[in-house]
Amino acid sequence: MRLRFSSVLVAGISSAFGVGLLQVTGLLTAQIGADDVTGSSSTVGLMLAILAWVFILIAVYVGAVVTSNTFSTIVAGRAREIALLRLLGSTARHQRLAISREGLVAGIAGAVAGALVGSLLAFGLERVSVAVGWFQEVGYSYLQPSLLFPLIAIVLTTWLASWVGSRRVLSVTPLQAIGGAQELSREEAVQRRGRNVLSLVLVILGAALLVLGMLLGLLSPVAVLIGVVGGILSFTGLVLGADVVMPPALRLVGRWFGRSAPARLAAENALRHPQRSSRATIGLVIGVTLITMFGVATASFADIIREQQRLQPEVYQGTEQMLTVVTGVFSVLIGFSALIAAVGLVNNLSLSVLQRTRELGLLRALGFSVRQVRRMILTESAQLTVTAIVLGLVLGTIYGWAGAQSLFGAITKGFVLPGVPWLIVGVIVVAGAALTAIASFTPTRRATRVTPIVALAVE
Amino acid sequence: MDISTSDMGLVARVENLTKSYGTERTRVDALRGITVGIRRGEFTAIMGPSGSGKSTLMHIMAGLDSPSGGRVWLGDTEIGGMDDTRLTLLRRRRVGFVFQSFNLVPTLDVAGNVELPFELDGRRPSSQELDWIAELESSLGLVDRLSHRPHELSGGQQQRVAIARALATRPELVFADEPTGNLDSRTGREVLALMQGATRQYGQSIAMVTHDPVAASFADRILFLADGLVVEDRGHMEAAEIATFMLTMEQAA
Repeated sequence: MRLRFSSVLVAGISSAFGVGLLQVTGLLTAQIGADDVTGSSSTVGLMLAILAWVFILIAVYVGAVVTSNTFSTIVAGRAREIALLRLLGSTARHQRLAISREGLVAGIAGAVAGALVGSLLAFGLERVSVAVGWFQEVGYSYLQPSLLFPLIAIVLTTWLASWVGSRRVLSVTPLQAIGGAQELSREEAVQRRGRNVLSLVLVILGAALLVLGMLLGLLSPVAVLIGVVGGILSFTGLVLGADVVMPPALRLVGRWFGRSAPARLAAENALRHPQRSSRATIGLVIGVTLITMFGVATASFADIIREQQRLQPEVYQGTEQMLTVVTGVFSVLIGFSALIAAVGLVNNLSLSVLQRTRELGLLRALGFSVRQVRRMILTESAQLTVTAIVLGLVLGTIYGWAGAQSLFGAITKGFVLPGVPWLIVGVIVVAGAALTAIASFTPTRRATRVTPIVALAVE
Repeated sequence: MDISTSDMGLVARVENLTKSYGTERTRVDALRGITVGIRRGEFTAIMGPSGSGKSTLMHIMAGLDSPSGGRVWLGDTEIGGMDDTRLTLLRRRRVGFVFQSFNLVPTLDVAGNVELPFELDGRRPSSQELDWIAELESSLGLVDRLSHRPHELSGGQQQRVAIARALATRPELVFADEPTGNLDSRTGREVLALMQGATRQYGQSIAMVTHDPVAASFADRILFLADGLVVEDRGHMEAAEIATFMLTMEQAA
């Protein structure tokens, strides 16, 4: 039952995110169409339409990835229960079917509930904006056929994620229920070559398309669509290859925390289940990358607009104001993806502490103080968030710059430098610090309550 | 003035030790007034049927649990009323553990596990300590395995690593909880012989909780517990003798 609740929640948040984005985009498009100034400027209208579709693609993509990530983590956390059922005579096939059926139900329930919430949020936003005077009354219909797109995508991805996640069921042996056996951490780390090759191909292809988009962007803003495809391909490659990319990054960051016993153990712990840590952190990487990308693109855009405004004041009149509204709305909405990712990260850390109760007991028996345990878990948490945020900031800057360049290169007739959105970077860093503390709060409490006697007890 | 623990040739002792669990109404008395000492430089086995209180006695002597009543000493230090931080330091510096399920840290290799007690103290072993560790590792046959992780070792090898870790800090007393419980009988006997050797060669005091008569037959002294009390305190016994004695105890109960 707990599984179903968490997966419904994740599907619901994803659906609210996707549907909300679509509704807000629809609203904004309707507003822009109704606005005399921007509506008459075909370049701005085209750009915003392109931007809207870029975000729709991103929304569905993020929803899909985060849903599948979280679902896999949840399934991984239930391995022991599955092992017990296997021990009692249930077949692996039966277990897998049961989980994927739960996935389908969770996907449908979450998608529908999320769609309602997302639409309500957009409706509330519209009412408030109209009341405040930002928007005019345009009679936007909330029953858009395009909404079926994220809904179906979320149901399918939740189902698919449950199927993919449940593949691990097949490797759960009934013996795991009895425990005592060594953890199978290394087995998890076995790398799949085919997948790695695919991810490398995607990254290279995507990067090539990004560059192509930037070059063609010098001629037409439509080139950004090539860039978007390139971005999605290369980022998909990175996410697929997370098992290869994240562990070395985590290891590198782990070194920053020093060589004390708690720090060293924390560094090793974060890498104990490389796949699980990769999955948990890649979600946050996606969120931070998106926010940064958007921030960098907007900052670059703002630089260009200011420059153009100076040259052609009549064409660009009012666009900066609109831009501020769009930035605000989308930043909040994209913050959602980071929120979902943060839930995944908290889950991951809790799970990892839960699964090594005995080992924590051992450390306490050998003389690890409560303070050292606390420091170890905080360091683990920090290692995950710092890695994700640094990687996200770097990737986001690259993607944002590539996007701005492809979209606005035709206006500036040359290459622009990436604008750095210091406010957004600051918010991300502060949010990251908060997340580190929050994510480690419950696990730390649980861990420091472990008595050393646990280590001596036989399971 | 009390006569000190070490004057008595003891490494640890308890006096009128009681331990009960649960509330007033559901009270379970695990220990009901035990007075006993563990002699320095001896391999002591603590035996008894399940529920006899042997594990509880060990937990309290090792500073893992607190007594309900009575007094507890490790060396000349009274540990009965210590807070968690002081008990943690005591376990880190003065006590060693060998567990039934080996309990090595899976993310550290053999060398890392053996040196872990020093690292917990935030220091590197001194050169003398390193010599000692090297000697332990060679006498326990771990030299070829130093860079292996626990999951790459057999159960017997893992238990040897645990013994090396327990002896590395030259603790006053090593506690072993059913150290052969997860091993086949041949490997189990090897491990017991190594522990016996640690007492004979290095004078290491060891207290081992077990219900296996073969394991107890390696000890210099055997304490039999039943219903929270020490019912018998014997010297070395053969496995068959121990088994017979245990059966008699069970039948008397």
